[in-house]
Amino acid sequence: MIPSRRSFLVGSAALAAGASVSVPFFLPKYHAVWLAKRSRVAILNVDQYSERIDEVLASGLRLFRTNIQGKTVVLKPNLVDYTPGNAINTHPTLVLAAAESFRRMGARCVIVAEGPGHQRDTQLVLSQSGYADLLRNFAIPFVDLNRDELIHTRLRASYMGMKSLWLPRTVLEADFLVSMPKIKAHHWVGVTLSMKNMLGAVPGARYGWPKNILHWKGIQESIVDVCATIPVHFVIADGIMAMEGNGPLNGTARPLGKIVLADDPVAADATCPRLMGFEPDRIVHIREGAKFLGNISPALIDQVGNCLTPPATPFDVVPEFRHLYAV
Amino acid sequence: MALSLLTLKRFRIKSAAVKSDGAVLSSVLAELGRRQLPAGGWAALRLSAQASLESTCLATLAIGSDDSDEVRLAQEFLVRVQNPNGSWPAFSGDDRDGAWVTSLAAIALRDVATAIPARLSGIHWLMKCQGREANWFWRWKFLTADRHVRFDPDKFGWPWFPDTYSWVVPTAFAILGLSQVPCSCGGLEDIPLRVDLGIEMLMDRACPDGGWNAGNGVVYGSTLAPHPDDTAIALLALNNRTQHPVVQASLEWLERTAQTLTAPWSLAWAILALAAHGRAVGPLVTKLMALPDLSGNDDTCTLSLVCLAADCCRAWAGLGANL
Repeated sequence: MIPSRRSFLVGSAALAAGASVSVPFFLPKYHAVWLAKRSRVAILNVDQYSERIDEVLASGLRLFRTNIQGKTVVLKPNLVDYTPGNAINTHPTLVLAAAESFRRMGARCVIVAEGPGHQRDTQLVLSQSGYADLLRNFAIPFVDLNRDELIHTRLRASYMGMKSLWLPRTVLEADFLVSMPKIKAHHWVGVTLSMKNMLGAVPGARYGWPKNILHWKGIQESIVDVCATIPVHFVIADGIMAMEGNGPLNGTARPLGKIVLADDPVAADATCPRLMGFEPDRIVHIREGAKFLGNISPALIDQVGNCLTPPATPFDVVPEFRHLYAV
Repeated sequence: MALSLLTLKRFRIKSAAVKSDGAVLSSVLAELGRRQLPAGGWAALRLSAQASLESTCLATLAIGSDDSDEVRLAQEFLVRVQNPNGSWPAFSGDDRDGAWVTSLAAIALRDVATAIPARLSGIHWLMKCQGREANWFWRWKFLTADRHVRFDPDKFGWPWFPDTYSWVVPTAFAILGLSQVPCSCGGLEDIPLRVDLGIEMLMDRACPDGGWNAGNGVVYGSTLAPHPDDTAIALLALNNRTQHPVVQASLEWLERTAQTLTAPWSLAWAILALAAHGRAVGPLVTKLMALPDLSGNDDTCTLSLVCLAADCCRAWAGLGANL
């Protein structure tokens, strides 16, 4: 049967309308690809927070042959809030060891920067979690990212449907940005690692405490957009004492005895879930990040340092994330 | 910036150690004066040149309402940066949708006759602004499908920024700002209703054992800890509800916690709130003034809070606590 001119026009219009609605779902949501051919991850065994961390970290960093000479290094730890006895924050001993190592490697300046997501009194979190004394005694400058000068920044991915964010000058102008997460289970996104840690760079003074707009736009989506826009050059993840269960605040401390170093945040965030007993490609932001930001496949990750051994008992998670467990 | 009028005489320090406290306060005030930007505002951090509205409003309250060049410049700055929709931005150069600091700006401009139209349009914007859970669809979602955070979405207040949930701090400042409006007329008839709803929201979002954090008391069945500054700001907004059991429990918690605080921002807020509810704060003021290098503090809001805590009566008058 030959279609009439009228039905042909109607059909064409319907097809065009359908395509205009569905095509955006199939187009990539990132604006460029920054995948390295290969990534490098080092797992270091450290069973407690002590002065020995300095030596272990320095030898771990040598495995990467990173050139820090004359650069401004910004260390971005995970400082959320403080509850006595809870493994919420990146331990200050590790941050100090990183600062000293990068100084020895010839950094022009090492800055610690963070914008806590829950607590407006950043100085209180610094003081209670043991940072304030260390920063003062070792003359390490600190920048409160919640209140830093802001630059209107076009996002380099569009997962959350926003074109731009106001982001802190300190992280945007860093020559070498190091994400230093605490390895934790997280009740909204499954895990909080080096990529999720970068949401701390989203300024509370502009987006509130907690950074509520990111919850509305989707936390997983926000993580990918922020990591596409603020390049993370290196990862030092604190898994000496990690957290399982109802993280990021109310989980249970879980000794893991590892520090994970990486030159690729996606590779770091693919490795840490494997240490926790999870499949990384079941975590939305890591899977999406692997499309354009970094490597998730073990075949593309050079594993140095110690072997990657899954735990005998996987980390506990809230029921919504039981599907993360590796079979 | 001339500092002639940033003098101690305008502050009434209640502590016994008046002499040493006075020297500390003098240096904090001088530093605050030095940090005023040429355009009249204050940046959030010492080395920043981007005026922050929270810092500017608190500094304006801290240096007082006298007819000084510094205050006049700050007030002119506040009027100048107001958004066309009546709100205020979070910082100079921000998008023009508006932010929670609108309530603080309205408070900071309370006694400025030339700023009455600006303040009124800010109040109107505040009346239109509400947490997203005010919408029936989100209320239904939180009542049925999304129960991980325990709260009653029928009780909503103000968000940090439009189109997000209500939170404790913006709600408390909005209550303080709206409570300063002398009459409920000219389109502002609903102010008492909004204030009452905001108060109900604060009571609902309190942590189970007293105190407030950002606004999540219980998540996934676990109790989250209160924060001293959020608790104090909520208590200031509830200054005429001292006998309410939630307020009493929160005061007990804050009074205990304040003894252990060494961070000036939280300690200063705690002093203001405890004093507003009739608790003794003399030793806490002494403790605040004895903290090391207060004037060197990087955070400009903290400097302003130290000055306000040194003279609670002036601070309450500025913030609009009805005592």
